Amino acid sequence: MIRSILFAFAALVAVPALADETCQSPYLARLEGQEDYVYVWTLGVEGWGDGSDKLVTIGANPARENYGKVVDSVSVGGRHEAHHGGFTDDRRQLWLGGLDTSMIFIFDVATDPGHPKLVKKIEDFPKATGGVVGPHGFYALPGRMLISALSNATDHGGKTALVEYSNEGKFIRTIWMPDDAPYGYDARVNAGLNRMLTSSFTGHKNYMRKLPELMGDAAAMKNFGDTVVVWDFHARKPLQTLKVPVAPLEIRWAWAPSHEYAFIEAALTGELWGVFRKSDGTFEAVKVADIGPRDAQPLLAVDISISANDKYLFVDTFMDGKVRVFDITNPRKPTVIYERVIGKQVNMVSQTWDGKRVYFTSSLLANWDGTGHEDEQFLRAFGWDGKQLTAKFEVDFRKAKLGRPHHMQFGQEGFWASRATPDQFGVAQR
Amino acid sequence: MRRWPRSWLAGAALAGALPTALAADPGHEGADAASFRFDPPEVGSYELPAIDRVSDHVLLASDGQPEPLLDLRPGEAALVSFVYLSCSEECPLSTATLHQLDRTLARDGELARRVKLVTVSFDPTRDTPARMADLAKGLAPKGRWQFLTAESSAALAPVLADFGQDALWIPGEAERPGRLRHVLKVFLVDAQRDVRNVYSTGLLDERLVMNDLRTVLGAPR
Repeated sequence: MIRSILFAFAALVAVPALADETCQSPYLARLEGQEDYVYVWTLGVEGWGDGSDKLVTIGANPARENYGKVVDSVSVGGRHEAHHGGFTDDRRQLWLGGLDTSMIFIFDVATDPGHPKLVKKIEDFPKATGGVVGPHGFYALPGRMLISALSNATDHGGKTALVEYSNEGKFIRTIWMPDDAPYGYDARVNAGLNRMLTSSFTGHKNYMRKLPELMGDAAAMKNFGDTVVVWDFHARKPLQTLKVPVAPLEIRWAWAPSHEYAFIEAALTGELWGVFRKSDGTFEAVKVADIGPRDAQPLLAVDISISANDKYLFVDTFMDGKVRVFDITNPRKPTVIYERVIGKQVNMVSQTWDGKRVYFTSSLLANWDGTGHEDEQFLRAFGWDGKQLTAKFEVDFRKAKLGRPHHMQFGQEGFWASRATPDQFGVAQR
Repeated sequence: MRRWPRSWLAGAALAGALPTALAADPGHEGADAASFRFDPPEVGSYELPAIDRVSDHVLLASDGQPEPLLDLRPGEAALVSFVYLSCSEECPLSTATLHQLDRTLARDGELARRVKLVTVSFDPTRDTPARMADLAKGLAPKGRWQFLTAESSAALAPVLADFGQDALWIPGEAERPGRLRHVLKVFLVDAQRDVRNVYSTGLLDERLVMNDLRTVLGAPR
């Protein structure tokens, strides 16, 4: 059992790299083996149930009776533009952010993994951080959370910052993005290189607009980031600004220590880019592949997931609802080895550490999702054998009146459940 | 390339402070390969804002007497590591790094006087003061390095909670002794008892910790 909680970095060096779990912080206690639950941060929809954002827990272990079923659903009250979330380094808490209201909801997922409990809210994020808006990414660091944001309170544009909070929810500091690369989106660390990459998207006044309206506004469309910043992670100092196409979103470092590169999808141009460490220690950004045909209409490359053996990269494109699996054995020349339509729209993809199970959700942003018949809302689970995806189960979030499912995280019974006897201490309570 | 101090592992095992199997645990061969392929940022070129503030706590020293965990004077700092002696997973990495730091600090007398290393056992039932004394003997510290345990697990629980150090006791099975599931963490604490950094496996680089100590402590006093 204890093997299952070896640190990601420790296991990285202790065993050959194996396989969203594969896209987590190297400082996070990793879940290996069969996940029991998929936690889905879900946007509320008016008229669907209570209409509030909620954390939905789905049974994911085929050996259990709740497989493929909704195990629990905890409403946070109100709609906040539920988007991403992340565990604290010890995997005891799941932090979830609202891009619209900038509220952060902290769930205890350790005490009863099948029934997460909302234990804290951070309601003064813009004030505490000195004007940061839109908490987006939640990335575990030892003893604290690194939050990459999207916007600011002054003009709701794209200038934004990285923010740190302690695991106890205390504000630590704000680090504004550099002047030549003011936008933010993702932040990912390569621990062995002491390098962090950050990517860039757009501000509140763009991401809260309806997509067709936004895409028809040429001036607004200029307000997207096109930079990736290389940081000295320990010093939190920007070292290099790399120019890339518009809206480079998710960053995935390769896992093997000798693989000194990361992949990033340029969302609006539908290109896959690599960021490679050069022999002099600096980095270069290089286009490595087109994602799908270069149609007039952008496909919106939205999420990517790297396998733990650095062999496969799953790439979701929202507009055609497809996943394409690239063989990234040659990182400078990835090739598509498989593609499949997941739904009428698809956004997030998460794979297990062993690479055998892959989960997809459908929602991008409340005002960017399709409408009418196109607005499918689901979680779909598949098996992956290295060649193809095989459907396992799905949960229809519309039918269940849950909302728009977005970010997924995995949970496991017993991960922190105490089996201590009375004379032995159990879990430390904060 | 960072290397394990194998002499310490063997020495500690021989001293009876750690199971002999520790030195041969293949899992630690992997840790042996851990390398930090970068030069740490320069001392004083970055900030380490307080993450949290902890209290001082009275525990048991290796001579069985009550001992404050921190008891820091102005201008001092401590590195606090929670381990248990029968741990065959992450704890040896933590202790090995503190051992390296002890040796490095010893070469800088002024800094050595201002830094205190503290190893605290998670497992007071088995890690008695006498066993902690054995560990200290095996490691032969050159500087200020305390080896603490507690009267009981109940006495230790508030310390772990204060530091945000999780631990879960997994009872033993037929042929396997009980063990503790925990996330490896080493805490850098300043004289105000502010936690200025937390190191886990992917951050526990002796060079980085040394630069952090110098950054936190500033100019020689």
